[in-house]
Amino acid sequence: MTGQLTADTLRRAIDRLAPHLESVAADLNEADARLGDGDLGITMTKGARQLRAVAGELGDDVGAALMICARAFTKGGGSSYGTLVATGLMTAAKTCRGKRTVDWTAISGLLDAAVAAMADRGGASLGDKTVLDAIDATARALEDLDDPAAMTEAAIVATDDTLDRYRDRPNRVGRARMFRAEARATGPWSPRAS
Amino acid sequence: MKKILNDPYEYVDEMLAGLTAAHPQYYALAGDDRRVIARADAPVAGKVGLVSGGGSGHLPIFTGYVGPGLLDACAIGDVFASPSVDQVADAMRAADGGAGVLSVYGNYGGDVMNFDMAAEMLEFEDVQTATVLLRDDVASAGPQEAERRRGVAGMVYAFKIAGAAADTRVDLAEVTRLAQKAADACRSVGAALTPCVVPQAGVPTFEIGEDEMEMGMGIHGEPGMWRGKLKAADEIANEMVDRLLEDKPVAAGAQVSPLVNSLGATPPEELYILYRVVATRLGEAGAQIVMPLVGRYATSMEMTGVSLTFCHLDDELAPLLQAPAACAFWRV
Repeated sequence: MTGQLTADTLRRAIDRLAPHLESVAADLNEADARLGDGDLGITMTKGARQLRAVAGELGDDVGAALMICARAFTKGGGSSYGTLVATGLMTAAKTCRGKRTVDWTAISGLLDAAVAAMADRGGASLGDKTVLDAIDATARALEDLDDPAAMTEAAIVATDDTLDRYRDRPNRVGRARMFRAEARATGPWSPRAS
Repeated sequence: MKKILNDPYEYVDEMLAGLTAAHPQYYALAGDDRRVIARADAPVAGKVGLVSGGGSGHLPIFTGYVGPGLLDACAIGDVFASPSVDQVADAMRAADGGAGVLSVYGNYGGDVMNFDMAAEMLEFEDVQTATVLLRDDVASAGPQEAERRRGVAGMVYAFKIAGAAADTRVDLAEVTRLAQKAADACRSVGAALTPCVVPQAGVPTFEIGEDEMEMGMGIHGEPGMWRGKLKAADEIANEMVDRLLEDKPVAAGAQVSPLVNSLGATPPEELYILYRVVATRLGEAGAQIVMPLVGRYATSMEMTGVSLTFCHLDDELAPLLQAPAACAFWRV
């Protein structure tokens, strides 16, 4: 085993994740605009900026740190995808509450719990061609792995495989149906796994 | 249609600035985004904190009902838009006096999602939370799907009764039980004659003929049960009473509080014309009328129209409804 996940792991992850999210914002906006309202990149940029702002306040408790990260995606509100990301992070936060270290082998289970909570809140199921399918595939790929480098590689492969597998399948939920709140709205169908 | 405003995007913040400037004895701005109105003396130590929230455009709902014997804090979204998770969480924090926080609000998907997430955050901060949803609009779903109904003017009764219950210093479970009982006791139906204009949209929320009305329309212009020629006041009142009593009959001698509410533009004169039929019909049904309310309690901006709510009371709820309470819009 190569160490464990700590709040410091999250701090270092933010250092790498935030610039990456900002660098792909334009691509995300463009992809989203083809079938949606074209603001996914804006949502992720806002989240990235909030993450940078709170990176110094994460403390030592992994659960509390994840909750702070979740809040970074609810600040300003309004975006349904930001709310989903926050939902997943909050679910993990509750499980990790009070822990200063989390075993790498626990990550798969944390992802499973996040998928369940996000599906419940968003009203989507596995197989609907949403981001849930990629996260679920990642959770399966990480089962029993405990080396961070191997896990990162497995997660990338699982995500790419999921994209390939779903590319030609129909979307079973539209962005307008992503939340029960918008159940009456009609709109174009959006590939959430894109 | 004409409106008095500056920048439509500043509409809500400017409204809140005026509201707190006019009534500082009741309302204080709180929260990171300044989108929370809390009681001037919040939090009240040892009392269950009562929170509500939702979109602007319904004054006195929701914000107006912050005050002693009513709500402790309220999160305010843009016109007809849910407040954010963070704003709701800030309202809960402002209301938390150490005895837990009860959220009472209308059954709208966006609000439910954001309040649920905010409650999860507060639970993480070791604050106990509970929720009561208003589902009083009989026009929004049939009795077999009553859990899908939207919340409208019945909220006024739930705020009042929950507020009075919290003031007796009973615990969160008991305040929640009474608030739920009050919510379950309410039935409402609305009728609209004209739409309203959401400031940021700048156009009417729907179109309707000069000589038409829509029975059952929701407070955001959600479609109702029928649209047709505008009827006489007595016909409108009778149909509303019929629909409410059909959904929840009143037993002879039972206590009922009726609320004849203006959706915004309809004047008190016309509300009283309707009320006279409501009073007669409740009398004929054998009901004992308790604390009738007639006026502007839950609006939809400048919409012309009315709603009728019956709150079915008993010896437990009636005293709570009549207990002292005060806010800038209502005094009991």
